[in-house]
Amino acid sequence: MFFQQLINGLMLGSTYSLIAMGYTLVLGVLQMLNIAHGDVFMFGAFLGLTFALLGIPLYWALLLAMLGAGIISILVERFCFRPLRKAHFLGPLLSTIAFGILLQNVGTQIWGSEPSRYPQTTEIAQFQLGPILISSIHIIILATSLFLMVAIDQLVKRTRLGRAMRATSENQTNASLLGVDIFWVFTFTFFASGALAGVAGVLTALVYLQITPFIGIRQGLIGMVAMVIGGLGNLRGAMIGGIMIGVMEVMNDAYLTAGYRDMIVFGLFFVFLIFKPEGLFGATSRES
Amino acid sequence: MLEIIDVSKNFGGLTALHHVNVQLPPQKIYGLIGPNGAGKTTLFNLITGLLPVSGGTIHFQGQALTSLHPHQITRLGIARTFQNIRLFPTMTVLENVLVAQNIHTRSGITSLFQLRAQADKKLREEAEALLQEMGLWPKRKEISSSLAYGEQRRLEIARALALEPTLLLLDEPAAGMNEAETEELLDRIQEIRSMGKTIFLIEHDMSVVMGICDYIIVLNFGKMIAQGTPDEIQANESVIEAYLGREER
Amino acid sequence: MSVYLEGVLALMGINILMALSVYAILTTDQLSLGNAGFMAIGAYTSAYLTVKSGVPLLPAILVGAIASSVMGLLVSIPVLRLKGIYLVMATLGFGEIVRTFFMNFEPTGGAYGFRGPSGATLPLIYGWVLVTIFFFWLLTRSRLGRSLDAVRDDPEVASTVGLHVTLLKIGAFGLGAFIAGVAGALYAHYMFYIESNNFNFLVSAMAILFVILGGMETFWGAVVGAIIFSILPEVLRFMKDWRLSLYGAVLVSMMIFRPSGILTRQMIRDLGERFEGIWRGAGSKDA
Repeated sequence: MFFQQLINGLMLGSTYSLIAMGYTLVLGVLQMLNIAHGDVFMFGAFLGLTFALLGIPLYWALLLAMLGAGIISILVERFCFRPLRKAHFLGPLLSTIAFGILLQNVGTQIWGSEPSRYPQTTEIAQFQLGPILISSIHIIILATSLFLMVAIDQLVKRTRLGRAMRATSENQTNASLLGVDIFWVFTFTFFASGALAGVAGVLTALVYLQITPFIGIRQGLIGMVAMVIGGLGNLRGAMIGGIMIGVMEVMNDAYLTAGYRDMIVFGLFFVFLIFKPEGLFGATSRES
Repeated sequence: MLEIIDVSKNFGGLTALHHVNVQLPPQKIYGLIGPNGAGKTTLFNLITGLLPVSGGTIHFQGQALTSLHPHQITRLGIARTFQNIRLFPTMTVLENVLVAQNIHTRSGITSLFQLRAQADKKLREEAEALLQEMGLWPKRKEISSSLAYGEQRRLEIARALALEPTLLLLDEPAAGMNEAETEELLDRIQEIRSMGKTIFLIEHDMSVVMGICDYIIVLNFGKMIAQGTPDEIQANESVIEAYLGREER
Repeated sequence: MSVYLEGVLALMGINILMALSVYAILTTDQLSLGNAGFMAIGAYTSAYLTVKSGVPLLPAILVGAIASSVMGLLVSIPVLRLKGIYLVMATLGFGEIVRTFFMNFEPTGGAYGFRGPSGATLPLIYGWVLVTIFFFWLLTRSRLGRSLDAVRDDPEVASTVGLHVTLLKIGAFGLGAFIAGVAGALYAHYMFYIESNNFNFLVSAMAILFVILGGMETFWGAVVGAIIFSILPEVLRFMKDWRLSLYGAVLVSMMIFRPSGILTRQMIRDLGERFEGIWRGAGSKDA
């Protein structure tokens, strides 16, 4: 039973990790909190739904949703960040709040505010591993998340683009003087962030099977909590933070009352911000 | 009156001030000079409580300042201006001065009801007098950030004076001023001293320093290398060494 | 007056109060993303008092607002040590903690919500709105208001002119919480039924949007922004559902092209002077 819950927790947690990583990328590279991120996640889920309803196989739907969400995220960069980046830091933040609400309303327009069911597009196979029941959904989610986590991690650590991102996060003027095209870095960072959110959206929809245009609010907030617990700007911290929260959520539902679950998560959020703002693994963002 | 006792300040690995010892009796004009980066503004920041000391203490009229908050230090009678002029940019000239008067009267929730009409009137008259002195009264309703540079400097001094301090710290008050303005500034500083106040100023303009200061303290690389009258300082070997050829005006 | 129109006006009044609660905290350059939490405390406390303890409405509203304010003061102490994004996220976290708390709190219905509070009429709501506006009007012209402006402009320099910056920030928080508490109490007693989801992050976010739209520089901006937001849906009925999307789009554009919002401080200053000139007649006593 315990290990079953653990697997479920890992699965849920890995979706949170993806969302958290998206927040972290933008916060780390651009020192900005993108409150519309959760709603980009929601759009990813719905795009996946739309493609699935068109009969497109899961893997392609996932890819397309990823691209679509990435593009929407670029819109956030263009409208909320780029024109305001020299102003008071609250500017982009407030703008993303407005953009998020815009996305929610557009989503409601397109897909309605009633829950939409996710269609079954792949056969669900189930494997028995000792006392644990693993379905192909588990595997898809875990595998996809793991792949993306490693990919982004390696991209940031080892590639030229990653170096450019890290240089930009240290000091935009210097990076620019060193030949980095910081505007391309901004665009890519937002794209990657959105892509991760988009994938997380589709995967989450596979878990819950029902989505509304307002799921981004909660999931986005949980992702933010994961980011804080892991350490602001710390990519690996975000990964682990997300998984920890997922496991904790599932354990809470299994062994305590489900009602308190969110309270514990947000309570932790608050406590960490006040007493351990650097998170468990250290904040690497220069945001004060 | 102001006692700086064995004060040191570190920023991480960088030592900005190193065991500085200075005693300043009241009602004189003191100058603080030294090459750029010597730690002069840092010393002001320590006195006014904007930064904590890393070692030593500072006493003002017998009271230890080092554990106090900036607003408490101001209420004891110390006011300052800033090297890069920090006014309240969205507030008018008059408001900048008025807000400094808040320490003289009740400015909490009760101030909403404007009960203290008499006290208010007196404060406004004082504010007007200050602004008239500085030649800023005609511009009292303009936003402070729209003023010319020299006017902003004068406003900052007016605001500091509105606090009715016993000790006035001026950080490079003559920076960016022409001959005429500097002359006026010197006259004003003399006036302030004749009101019974003590003035401690940081300056790079040697003609100002030598011309008006009764006593000068010289810092270099965070250490005090000399203190004395203008004549003594001008003859001092280590000062000449630290300065020669660099900061002549 | 039709029930429908009354409903619109009632909610508008509550929106104005929520916008002012955000503005109150913004006066010291802090952004609170959790005012829905303060609203909830005011709502549930006052509702419990009237429904379960038979307390009359007005005292119940006051107690609710005071409870909210006390919570605001308590929370602000640790939270105000934080800077920038951490402060914003902490207020967000607080709002969510309050919401999830009431979702579980049995004595006020838990997940089933709380049924029964009633008695808020349009005159009562607007009575509070007018009192609050009057309060802000007094504040703007007072020494305290000037202190708040200074803290917002440059807290470090404000401390060097003798202002107790931390106390002012805490006070601003308490004020914002109080106003949100009043809004919550009025909301509960108008709607007859409240549940925790009525006080979610979107509510906090919308209040902020009112202020952005109307103008962050003066309290009139918050009032105007809330009014526009509340009335526009009715005026734009013909646009049906796209009008909500329009808000978001308009606000994003505002942040780019006119971040100070509709009403700027200069506008209010000029209007104020013209008004005062008329008021005082020919006598040239300066402001």
